[in-house]
Amino acid sequence: MHEMSIVVELLDQLEAVAAENGVLRVEAFTVQAGVLRGVVPEALEIAFESASGGTVAEGAELTLEILPALARCRQCGLEFEPGTDSYLCPGCNQADVDIVSGNEILLASVTGQQKNKESGSHED
Amino acid sequence: MKINVVKNVLEANDSAAAENRIRMTNAGLLAVNIISAPGSGKTTLLEKTIPALDGMKSAVIVGDLQTSRDAERLGDKAVEVTQVNTEGGCHLSASQVARALDGLDIAGLSFMFIENVGNMVCPSGFDLGEHVRVAMLSTTEGDDKVAKYNTLFQPADVILLNKVDLVDVLDYDKSRVYNDLARINTRAEVIELSAKTGQGMEQWIDWLKKALAGEKKLAKKG
Repeated sequence: MHEMSIVVELLDQLEAVAAENGVLRVEAFTVQAGVLRGVVPEALEIAFESASGGTVAEGAELTLEILPALARCRQCGLEFEPGTDSYLCPGCNQADVDIVSGNEILLASVTGQQKNKESGSHED
Repeated sequence: MKINVVKNVLEANDSAAAENRIRMTNAGLLAVNIISAPGSGKTTLLEKTIPALDGMKSAVIVGDLQTSRDAERLGDKAVEVTQVNTEGGCHLSASQVARALDGLDIAGLSFMFIENVGNMVCPSGFDLGEHVRVAMLSTTEGDDKVAKYNTLFQPADVILLNKVDLVDVLDYDKSRVYNDLARINTRAEVIELSAKTGQGMEQWIDWLKKALAGEKKLAKKG
C-alpha cells in the first residue's frame, strides 16, 4: 500500500500549490504516474479519501494518468519502451538499462476556486 | 481556474535520499539497501554477514512494521542496530533513514546495512540514499518471483538466491530464475547461497568488499 505514502506527499504539494496561487479549495487535480510505479487507481483513490479530510483538497476529484516507461540500454545506448516483464534491449539483446522515465509521480494540474474572484465572473 | 504545475510528488523523499547518500559517501562507507519478501532470510543473512566482514565495522538500520524482533536478533552481534518502526508503512523512506543516521556514529564504519520492510513491491520505488541495492529471493518462495516482481529485480546491483540448501527438497527450478533474469537484469551478479549452512557466503562477502572498494574509488574522484 505504497499509495498512502504517495498521498501524504501529494497532500503537502496540493497545500503548497493552493497557497502559492491563492486557491481556497481544490476541486480537481491530475496525477501522472509512471507505469513502473505500479500505482493501483482504486488504492490511490481510497488512500486519498481517507487522508484528505480537513485539507484544502477534501472532496476533490482525482484523475490518474499512467505514463509509459522509457529505458536506456547501458551497453549500446538505445532508448526503448520496455515490456511488462522484459527490459531486453532490441539493439543488443542485453537487459542492462537505466530507467529514463516510468518511475515518476507528478502532480500535473490543479483546478480550484481562487480568492478575490467574484463568483461566476471569470471562472473557467 | 486550472493551474498546470508538474511537481515531483516524491521530491521530499528524493532530496532526503540524495542527502543521505552524500552523508554516507563522505563517511567512506557503503550503504546497502536489502529488499526481499518477508521470511526470505534478510535478518539471518545479516547475522552471518557482519561477523564475516573481518574487522570491518558495520551498522544496521532495520525497518519493521511493528515489532523490534529483527533488531533484537542483530543486537546480539555487537553491532549498532537502529530499529525504525514504520507503524504499518510498507517501506522505509529516506527521511526515516536520515533520522536513524542522526542517532548513529557513522565515522569509522565500512558498511551500513539497511534491512528494508519485507515486501517485494513498495520498497523498490523509494530511494533511501543507498549506494547499492540488493534484491533477495529464497527458494521457499517459488521460482516465479523474478518475472512477477521485476521492478524489484531490474534495478538491483546484486541478486541473492537464499536457502539453496533446500533446492532438492522443494524441487525448485533455478533455471526459471536465470531465464527470467536474462530479460530483466543481465548486469547484476547472481549469488546462490544459504545463510544457514554458509554455502555461497564467501562469494557474497567478496562482492561486498569489491563494492566498498568501488564506492571509495568513485568517492575519491568526486
